[in-house]
Amino acid sequence: MSEAQPAALVATDLSKTYDDLVALQPMSITVPPGQSMALIGHNGSGKSTFLRMVAGLLDPSAGEIEIAGFDLTDVEARATTSFLPDDPVLYDDLSLREHAEYISKLHGGDGWDDYAESLCVRLGLEERIDDLPSRFSRGLRQKTAIVLALVRPFSLLLVDEPFVGLDQPGKLVLLDVLAEVHAEGAATLVATHDPSYVERVDRSVALRDGEVIFDGTASVEEVLHLVGG
Amino acid sequence: MSALTIAESSAVVGELRRARRKRRVASIHWIDALYQVYITGLVSVVVVVLLSGAIGDDEVSVAGIADVKDHGPAAAGLLVALAVFLGLRSGSRGGPLALERPDVRHVLLSPVDRGVALRGPAWRQLRFLLAVGAAVGAATGQLIVRRLPGNAFEWIVFGALYGLTAVGLGYGSALLASGLKVKHWVASLIGGLLLLWSAGDVIGKLPLSPFTVVGHIAVWPLESDWLAIIGVALAVVLVIAGMRWVSGVSLEAAERRTALVGQMRFAVTLQDLRTVLVLRRQLSQEHPRSRPWIRAARRTPRFPVWHRGVRSVARWPLSRVVRALLMAAVAGMAMRTVWNGTTPMIVVAGLALWIAALDAAEPLGQEVDHPGRTDTFPLPRGQVFILHLPILFVVSVVIALLGAAVAVAPIGSSVPVGPGLFTAFMAGLLAACGASVSVIQGAPDPVDTLSMVTPEIAGTRTVIRTAMPPAIAILGVTPLLAARASFLGAQEPPPINAAMSLALPLALVVVLVAGYIRFRDEIRKWMADASEQMSPTKAAERQREERLAEEAREAAALAESKRLAREASSASQRAKARQKPKTSKPVSPPPDGVRGGTSAKPIGRKRDQT
Repeated sequence: MSEAQPAALVATDLSKTYDDLVALQPMSITVPPGQSMALIGHNGSGKSTFLRMVAGLLDPSAGEIEIAGFDLTDVEARATTSFLPDDPVLYDDLSLREHAEYISKLHGGDGWDDYAESLCVRLGLEERIDDLPSRFSRGLRQKTAIVLALVRPFSLLLVDEPFVGLDQPGKLVLLDVLAEVHAEGAATLVATHDPSYVERVDRSVALRDGEVIFDGTASVEEVLHLVGG
Repeated sequence: MSALTIAESSAVVGELRRARRKRRVASIHWIDALYQVYITGLVSVVVVVLLSGAIGDDEVSVAGIADVKDHGPAAAGLLVALAVFLGLRSGSRGGPLALERPDVRHVLLSPVDRGVALRGPAWRQLRFLLAVGAAVGAATGQLIVRRLPGNAFEWIVFGALYGLTAVGLGYGSALLASGLKVKHWVASLIGGLLLLWSAGDVIGKLPLSPFTVVGHIAVWPLESDWLAIIGVALAVVLVIAGMRWVSGVSLEAAERRTALVGQMRFAVTLQDLRTVLVLRRQLSQEHPRSRPWIRAARRTPRFPVWHRGVRSVARWPLSRVVRALLMAAVAGMAMRTVWNGTTPMIVVAGLALWIAALDAAEPLGQEVDHPGRTDTFPLPRGQVFILHLPILFVVSVVIALLGAAVAVAPIGSSVPVGPGLFTAFMAGLLAACGASVSVIQGAPDPVDTLSMVTPEIAGTRTVIRTAMPPAIAILGVTPLLAARASFLGAQEPPPINAAMSLALPLALVVVLVAGYIRFRDEIRKWMADASEQMSPTKAAERQREERLAEEAREAAALAESKRLAREASSASQRAKARQKPKTSKPVSPPPDGVRGGTSAKPIGRKRDQT
């Protein structure tokens, strides 16, 4: 990584409140380019809130977000960030191929290509490419969302609870894909309950009740201790 | 990784939208389309006929025309102010657009120009609303010409222009509030103040409202005012500004709206008021307070259902408290107006209290929303619902009494204390009854046999379902009319006694509603059974089942008879086999009077012995 390259993500005093409920305490964090990071914590700790704010889906109550040197509201920030949610959101009337084509084109790509095809094959979706994802099971929809998050260019990948609903082969493929993405230089930010995932990342940030309680390299045992697993 | 240019964004988004629209249109069957046109036409004709009946044909007197000239623009301006108020509130919640959720996730999060992605749907929505506004305005102009002097063409044209302007101002405000991310409370405050200003102008208590200027368009054929053109220009400017800043929409609000608006429309179609209320609260982020206003006592509650209701009320968010106070004030003001001679305001008073009571009925609504949980309680559902009524009555009566405080406040021409307080008490009770009926009845049955018999029954039921709850609430304000009649007449009986003379019939309504809530399930079951009995198909099925059961019974009896015969036959053979050589047995003579046989012939018919 070049020293001059801006950080993949800089969040400064980022917080989120809903009336009298504090979902995320003021949080400052910097993710260097190409870093893989796990965001860990129990339910309601603020992981998803943080990711959704970085993705632009939630309005921060306070604080600022910069992505690759651009303000979150800039179109360049959107071009840089890919978000893989835990609740796949798909069109009812588009097939998997049409989804991938559309999203690729929205990001300036050529549409359906070999990489999309290969992702579908690896995730076991090759027979379902021309089917409507609206009729898929939860796991297949999650796999579709994985394809859609990856068929477009990005340098920051935000992943929220990626293993929910996935079968074991799907989980292994996703772990491989995340490793490949990281190897290619993209920063990854994965919110997960799975303590074993921390062994695969450069850095772990643990949250409890909307507050950062740990930031560094953690072992599985430490994670279990931190999040009460 | 780079942003798309406006042309590229437009091409990508446009291409997919066109393809999807084509596919959607292709999937609509022409019969469905025709049916929609038929229903729309039918509803429009009914509305026009009803309006035309309400407006009448008599020419308005000279004094009436002068009155229209004086107050017409302010009244028309009030409607525009209402459109702007609703637009500002909608915009502050992410409206007026209701995008598809995948569009928010995939299109608005991609590096395409958000303006390009949002202006298309916004123009389409605006086009539709403008067409509706122009049509309603023109139709109203055409009806007005029957009573007011002037050229019919002018009335129609200016009616349509007024409709277009009102839509433009309302929609433009909404787009602008959404694009500039105006806070909800700020939008409500600005819109509310503008609305109050216009209302004050209508009753002549406040100086000229800016919307009164716009209202001059509506009465242009009577009295032209070129200043009104400013309103048209303002509408155009607001729409252009809204389109310019539409890209600033909050994705959080937009996504929340996408999920809820569709459900809300569906609930409205089903006349499911409870669902509409719940979704509206979600849309406006109106959540119960985490920390209640009043802390709960530690001891075990003696009346758990009452206690549960109190806890629910103690968690009312501030916005709900403000709304309840506002409704109380509206009801109080309406009661004052009724007392001063404007009888139709009784409807406003009743509706305001009913709306407040709908909020108070939340604990009951929660039980209705979760029938699975209610069914696990060791008492009938109806009984659980009845136990929720006391807290609803208390809250509703308190709100109504606050309204009464406004009505009897000794400023200007106020309602006397006695009739005011008594009316408020009864109005609170009846508003609670209306609200509980609204909540309990929920959505109509998906398969309603009775309604399917004839469309007339279905139509009548729909009207009753919709009108009954507010009508019950309005009924509660009628003691005020009785008191007023006495006050204006000979005061015999005195106004308070006149008001109280309605106590018994209104109490009967309360009892009837309580009975309906308690025995609703039983009544519904009885009605379902009765309607099944009435059905010719069901009767034929029932006859067939009875015939089959009779045949089965006969077959079983026959089989049993054969079995017995076989047993008797084998027993006889075994007896014969064991029989010793016959020895002469002395036969004693039968007793006198007995004629019994000694034959060993088996019982039964010949065919049964095989």
